Amino acid sequence: MSTLPAALGAPARPLRAARSWGRALKGFAGVALLLLAWQVSVPLVGMDAYFYPAPSDVVTSFVDLMRKGILPAYLADSLVRYAVGLTCGAALGIGLGVLIGLSRRASLMLSPLLKFLFAVVEVAWIPIFVVWFGYGVKTIVLALVYVVVFPVLYNTLLGVRTAPQILVNAVRSLGASSWQVLRLVILPSALPGIITGLRVGAGFAFRGLVFAEIIAAKSGIGYLIFEGTEGHQTARTVVGMIIMGLLWLAIDQFYLRPIERATIQRWGLTVDAEQRT
Amino acid sequence: MTSVTHAVSVSGRKAEALGLGVVPFVVLIVAWLILPYAIHYPAYMLPSVATVLGYAVESLKDGSLLANIAASLGRLFIGFVIGMALAVPLGVAIALNRTVADLFRPVLSFLQAIAGIAWVPLTLVWFGIGNGSVVFVIANTIFFSALYNTVIGVQSIPLALHRAVRSHGGHGLSLLTNLILPGALVQILLGVRTSLAYGWRALVAAEMIAGSNGLGYMTMEAVQWQRTETIILGMIVIGVLWVLMDHLIFTPIERRTVGRWGLLQR
Repeated sequence: MSTLPAALGAPARPLRAARSWGRALKGFAGVALLLLAWQVSVPLVGMDAYFYPAPSDVVTSFVDLMRKGILPAYLADSLVRYAVGLTCGAALGIGLGVLIGLSRRASLMLSPLLKFLFAVVEVAWIPIFVVWFGYGVKTIVLALVYVVVFPVLYNTLLGVRTAPQILVNAVRSLGASSWQVLRLVILPSALPGIITGLRVGAGFAFRGLVFAEIIAAKSGIGYLIFEGTEGHQTARTVVGMIIMGLLWLAIDQFYLRPIERATIQRWGLTVDAEQRT
Repeated sequence: MTSVTHAVSVSGRKAEALGLGVVPFVVLIVAWLILPYAIHYPAYMLPSVATVLGYAVESLKDGSLLANIAASLGRLFIGFVIGMALAVPLGVAIALNRTVADLFRPVLSFLQAIAGIAWVPLTLVWFGIGNGSVVFVIANTIFFSALYNTVIGVQSIPLALHRAVRSHGGHGLSLLTNLILPGALVQILLGVRTSLAYGWRALVAAEMIAGSNGLGYMTMEAVQWQRTETIILGMIVIGVLWVLMDHLIFTPIERRTVGRWGLLQR
């Protein structure tokens, strides 16, 4: 997922408090306008709540889902699947990235295969996963691992390849073993790439999660979105979509950006990974 | 003399790369051929190579495969055109006007977070199963990706060029056609690849849930009948099509724009 908020911001120049307040206020006005337009349009559209629920229906549905404890449980399920998929995918991607980055032969051998596997998007694997593993957690987590591996791998690879040879030589001439070279030079210089890969992967995986849950789960936010319309409770679907949006913004704001700030900005390196994949 | 040896070593390297690159594919196919003899599993779990090839020939003969491919690509194209047509004007407006940017930013970043496949259940209610739902999801996905690239493209036009065009009397429409659009074009074109990568996923996913034909529909429908040969053929076609699009469309675009404008994006 690209970083729209950053792109939409004003160009980098000293921000004055007044302006940022003004911006926040206008942003708030934008949200309020949208909600107002939605509410006003409901009688104009004049359709069933099943077809076009009003904001008030959505709020009622949200309260109902909270009171019954459905939403917290679904949210927890989704987050666990997301965390497991992301962690496994990242570990695999980093491992493969380092391997391919260090060995020319491995790179020549695996690149075409990986390119093809990347082209067979994770979405396309879900039907066969369903046949193999049934509807459930296994299928979902596998799909997430699959989608995270590639951006992490490509960016790790990029990071490993751009490790300054001069440093490798320096550490080697001081008598470092291969393991030490990896740990002291290669991995630290690959770190910004790894983080970028994680960030891109996290975005892809979030969408992958929702889709996998629509197809193969009996709980979770994706399932909530899907089940809502199946059960003619479209307001539930909208609650699910809003939660999904807020969840992604929260993950981005409180988890991904701090990590990125702590690493990439420290090393002063940014790589646009999405173009690369 | 040196150039000759250089050429030889380059072509030698290319051959080596090609040779090594083929190895994993061969290994996989051989493993796939041997597997039924090595371990016992229900035939539907993994059809033999022959079954998949047989199905490929059959579906090519009766035209169903090509019809599904055409349906998917057609939808991708329509969704792409709609998404771009909406995103570019809005992107230009956001990049040029601070009030528009401030007003839209929170709403758009929120909607971007739910862009794509999460809309499918709702579009099923609105448009039913078929083209409407799938195209909506693709257009929605591509819109947000293209919007991002348009904003970045316009914002990256150097201020000096703005001033130069303005001081020559450019304003309004002439500013737009002489500076803004050409200036943002490279980034927009380069962004097409990312947009379509997202759009391609959204297409396959949306067809699986809300399609009545197309590659996604073909593979998901096959799950019910446990026709794994259809699923595997579908996966291979999806992969090959993307590789082809990448080589035939995006790489040339990238090479031309990067070569001509000297902008390196990788």
